[in-house]
Amino acid sequence: MSITRRIFVSSLAVTAVLPTIRAARAQEKGLIAIITPSHDNPFFKAEAVGAEKRAQELGYDTIVLVHDDDPNKQSEMFDTAIARGAAAIILDNAGADATVAPVQRAKEAGIPSFLIDREIKESGIAVSQIVSNNYQGAQLGAEEFVSLMGEEGPYVELLGREADTNAGIRSAGYHDIIDQFPDLEMVAEQSANWSQTEGYEKMETILQANPGIKGVICGNDTMAMGAWAALEAADRTDVIVVGFDGSNDVRDSILNGGIKATVLQPAYRQAQLAVEQADKYLETGSTGQPEKQLMDCVLITPENAGDLETFSLSG
Amino acid sequence: MRQAILSGALACLMLPVAACKIVPNPDPESQSETSAAQTDEARMAAYVEDRWQSEVLPVISENTVAYDDFQARLGDGLDAAGAAYGLRPEGEANPWNFVMTGSGIVTEAKLDSRAAKMQVDMDGDGSADVTLQLGPVIRGTALRDAMPFIVFTDFRDQIEFAKLARAMNERASAGLEKPEGEVVGEEVSFTGVFTLRAAGDTPEIVPTELSMGGAP
Repeated sequence: MSITRRIFVSSLAVTAVLPTIRAARAQEKGLIAIITPSHDNPFFKAEAVGAEKRAQELGYDTIVLVHDDDPNKQSEMFDTAIARGAAAIILDNAGADATVAPVQRAKEAGIPSFLIDREIKESGIAVSQIVSNNYQGAQLGAEEFVSLMGEEGPYVELLGREADTNAGIRSAGYHDIIDQFPDLEMVAEQSANWSQTEGYEKMETILQANPGIKGVICGNDTMAMGAWAALEAADRTDVIVVGFDGSNDVRDSILNGGIKATVLQPAYRQAQLAVEQADKYLETGSTGQPEKQLMDCVLITPENAGDLETFSLSG
Repeated sequence: MRQAILSGALACLMLPVAACKIVPNPDPESQSETSAAQTDEARMAAYVEDRWQSEVLPVISENTVAYDDFQARLGDGLDAAGAAYGLRPEGEANPWNFVMTGSGIVTEAKLDSRAAKMQVDMDGDGSADVTLQLGPVIRGTALRDAMPFIVFTDFRDQIEFAKLARAMNERASAGLEKPEGEVVGEEVSFTGVFTLRAAGDTPEIVPTELSMGGAP
């Protein structure tokens, strides 16, 4: 019963995405499946748009799927990609451990995977894993945070989703800098699971218990937006908020004097680069690059926020 | 499957008693230091210690460029200097790392910090041209990223890779004889590694050799 239901649901999912496949002209190079977390977060939308655009420019058909950070859903999407005989998969994955098996399954079916943004816990299965240099970026964000805080005062850290390596690495980068300053005191550290809603709720609760806080450093921009909204609602716009991602929402907040800084991950370029490496691999059998690659991040402050658009910096 | 377990159990039962040997329980403290229980930090520190003399220092001595030669080439742009002297991992958007040697006059020093630093005037104009990061807390990943034998793919994830960078920085810092007292106005000689993202940035050097008062 449950199996039939699952097949029914996944075929529904396939039907739902069919219209996004470009069938206008018959293309020889095959299909690239682009699988990311929910487009509710503009970061993942930028990835999907960047990858899709580059794939179509290079002559591929595309299918865009969203796993909503659910490993089961992701697994079904891999089955869809395999069943449709995709030439390659571009993936921002739903968990460092849980993703090893589906990527392996695709590999056995002859479909290479090119990972962006998040790593998996094993190498030698995906062809490329291109991730932002989160450690370098987090250190940049932390240095700005320390300077904005005047090197002292109580602060809060909002962490990302625990199953995601990026949550841990950003926190490590933050603390490698912040912990050098003994007058900066962390009064609360909680996960808001990358979510804006949870960022709002957690901030509201933390603020009640710790009304004296001076700053909030966040593992991503959506949590920073949630925290900022809670601070605004509590009339506490004096609190210093720093994010991570470089979204247009946080850019606008920075330009309006709200959130103070963020760290840009080159998400759009990263997705395009993954497609370029997929294309090169399919044509020549090699990307010419090591499997795991880091891309540097850039600090965004009021000075350069105006040059930021959809996760890339102009000028 | 079940049969296999049963026959295995039977085989155990049939082992002659003479084969038994009384082994004392291992000391739990010594056990915690074995590889199975090692933290990322300890494992990466051991990785660095194993390679410091045999691999890291040779890369440094083979790629060292004098300050003046570096500045001259930097005049043609960062990529020209990088092509001539730089080291960087493969991949898009990876910045250049350099190994530099030189001497200059200390213009400013903060030695009582966990992130101790000295500013050094290299060209005699009185203003600082480079920063020496004395640590033990050192910013950046220059030392790690300058090593051609270190490849990100060989490490579990970014967290382990970051711990590696930190272990290398700490090893460099631990190997230095730290200057003490009033050092402003003194001459300092150094060899060290730094990352340069833009030609105009001040090099923040992680020294692997350092001596006060003239050439080492």
